[in-house]
Amino acid sequence: MDTMRTEELISALADGQLAGEAFARGVELAAADPVARQAWQTYHLIGDVLRSGEQAAGALPAEFLGRLQVRLQQEQVAAPGAASAAAAGSSRQPAQAAANDASFRWKLVAGFASLAAVAALGWTAVGGPGAKPEQAQLAGGAPTGAVLAETQRGVMIRDARLDEFLAAHRQLGGASALQMPAGFLRNATFEGPIR
Amino acid sequence: MTKTPRAAPPSPADTDLMLVERTVAGDQKAFELLVLKYQRRIQRLIGRMVRDTDLVEDIAQETFIRAYRALAQFRGEAQFYTWLYRIAVNTAKKALGDLKRDPLVSETALRGNDEEDETSGVENELTTAETPETVLAAKEIAAAVNSAMEALPDELRQAVTLREIEGLSYEEIAEVMDCPIGTVRSRIFRAREAISARIKPLLENQSGKRW
Repeated sequence: MDTMRTEELISALADGQLAGEAFARGVELAAADPVARQAWQTYHLIGDVLRSGEQAAGALPAEFLGRLQVRLQQEQVAAPGAASAAAAGSSRQPAQAAANDASFRWKLVAGFASLAAVAALGWTAVGGPGAKPEQAQLAGGAPTGAVLAETQRGVMIRDARLDEFLAAHRQLGGASALQMPAGFLRNATFEGPIR
Repeated sequence: MTKTPRAAPPSPADTDLMLVERTVAGDQKAFELLVLKYQRRIQRLIGRMVRDTDLVEDIAQETFIRAYRALAQFRGEAQFYTWLYRIAVNTAKKALGDLKRDPLVSETALRGNDEEDETSGVENELTTAETPETVLAAKEIAAAVNSAMEALPDELRQAVTLREIEGLSYEEIAEVMDCPIGTVRSRIFRAREAISARIKPLLENQSGKRW
């Protein structure tokens, strides 16, 4: 590899045949040396033409890249923290750590949506603004000590105040959303799973 | 005696991944190499969705900018080109959606179900970014590449065909052509050099004529 001409090194780089120090050297050359960079461009052009039978018309690579470089500089100026954060985690670890990010985010959203639904039910059950203070206390506000716990059934919200509220809600059983006893539901109570 | 398993040889996909990692580490030049590698393919892809050449280039620029911003999230589970392809398609779809909502935008900027207009000719599709000369130059370069291929010695033509068109690795080509990997590398390089020599004057001419 050490005896290869620059262009031959770039040819091997284009085919993914370099690794380790040879790869680093190839990338440095392609980035900094005009001859190497031209070779990188030309070899990929040849490949594109051979595969597609034509060269795509449009901006020349050098012009396209020139315009893009200006925008990339603006990206770096606008987000210097992102660049340094990316540099700090340059290995594959961030990629591996992010593998289930989307899944966890959806579970988090589902958890908070469940909380909002429970709070809305509670608000309805205790009769809104005219509720008694202790009931309003149970229904109002976001629980401050809430902890999200992931279980096999999904995200569970564990909070002492929420547990009290649910227990109280079970005792209210039989009341409809209209704050009137639902006559056709005799002795109906809510027997949900004990949290 | 047990055989020690050979490590998987590097591949172009590995090169892309390594260039991504270098970019994330702060080396913008590594990203530029990816741009130079995929610019034409991305523009060709977008050009199938959008007619206006200026818009194609704008969308291609936006695609690479979005890819640059999202590089730290690239997991390497899919190939880099597949990931870039998805960004290009989504960016083009968004641009088309925005265009359709804009009453000032001409229908000729969009592709798709618009009927062929007898009055629309090449002039309506060419913009300041593209002239009949550049279209002709692109065709000349393609013709020169194909002509240079035909003029190559058999073993060079076969090696570069197996690599560029069939997508075989050096190891696979070595097996097909029954020669060492170093010979494969050398043949492919010599083929590229021969083709480059043919198209270099055309490329210089194309660069010099744009003003």
